[in-house]
Amino acid sequence: MERGELLGSLEHIILLALARLDGSAHGMIVRREIEERIGRNVSIGAVYATLERLEAKGYVSSFTGEPTPERGGRAKRLFRVEAAGKRALQVSEQTIRSMTAGLNGHWEGI
Amino acid sequence: MRRNSPPAFACWFLESVVPAPYREAMLGDLIEEYALRTESASPLAASRWFWSQACRSVPSMVWSSLRNQLRSRDWLISMSIAIGVYIVMRILEHAADLTISRWLAPQPTTYVVLAPFVFLGITSISGWVAARIRRGSTIFLALMVMITVAIAIYLKVCTIPVPWWYEFGFLTLAPLSVLLTPAVFGVPKPTAGGSAT
Repeated sequence: MERGELLGSLEHIILLALARLDGSAHGMIVRREIEERIGRNVSIGAVYATLERLEAKGYVSSFTGEPTPERGGRAKRLFRVEAAGKRALQVSEQTIRSMTAGLNGHWEGI
Repeated sequence: MRRNSPPAFACWFLESVVPAPYREAMLGDLIEEYALRTESASPLAASRWFWSQACRSVPSMVWSSLRNQLRSRDWLISMSIAIGVYIVMRILEHAADLTISRWLAPQPTTYVVLAPFVFLGITSISGWVAARIRRGSTIFLALMVMITVAIAIYLKVCTIPVPWWYEFGFLTLAPLSVLLTPAVFGVPKPTAGGSAT
C-alpha cells in the first residue's frame, strides 16, 4: 500500500459521504450528510478545503453548475468521486479491517 | 436586513477571505441553506447559524490559501514582499509605541486603550500595501502578524494585567485586519486559480 493513498479522517468521511450521495454532490449537501449520519457539525469551509485537497490528489473531480436565484446568482460546484478516490476508500477500508481484526471486546478497559 | 437575505457583512467577510476557486460555490451554498433555514426557524437563528459557519470556516480557508500560495511557483516572491512590509510595519509600530508611551499617554491604562487602535491601524495599512504590491503576499503577512502577537502574549510583553479577551482580540483581529483591508479599499480580487487572501 502506498503512503499517499492513506486518507485523513475528514478526507475519509467526505469521500464516504460523496459515495453515499450517488457519487456526486455539492459542499452543503456533503456537510448535511455528515451531520445527519455521524452528528459532526463540520464547517462548510472545512468541507470545501478538504474537497479541494481531494481534488488536488485526483480523488474527486468537480464541475460548475448553472447559477440560480436561490443561491444569490451563484453557481453550484458539484464534486464527483473518481476511480482513484474509490481505490483510496478501498485501501482505507482494508487497513481499518486489518487493524481491527481480532480486537473484539478489547476496547473495554481502554 | 431584508427577509431571507443573509447577513450582508458576513457575506462580504467571506468574499474577502475565501480563496477564489471555491468562493462562489461556498457562498452560494450558504445563501441557499440560509433561505431553507429561515423557512423552518427564525431569521435570527438562521443568521446566527450563518455567522457561525462564516467564522468557523475562516481557519480552514486561510490554511487552504496558505497551502495554495506555497504550491505556486512564485511563493518566494510573495514571502519576500511580506517580509519587507513586515519590517517596515514593525518599525512604524515601534515608533508609534514610543510616541504613545512617552508623550501621548504615559499612564499604562490609557496606553492599553490606545494601543489596539494604533496597532490595528498600522497592520491594516500594511495589509493594504502588501496587497497592492502582490495580492498573494497578504497571507504570509497575516501569518507573521499572528505569530508576532502570539509570541508577545506568551512573553507577557504588556506590563499591566489585561483580560483574556483583550489578548484574544489582538490575536484574531490583527491578522484579519491584514486580510480584510485590501477588500475594504478595493484591491482587485484575482479571477481564477489564486486566492482572495
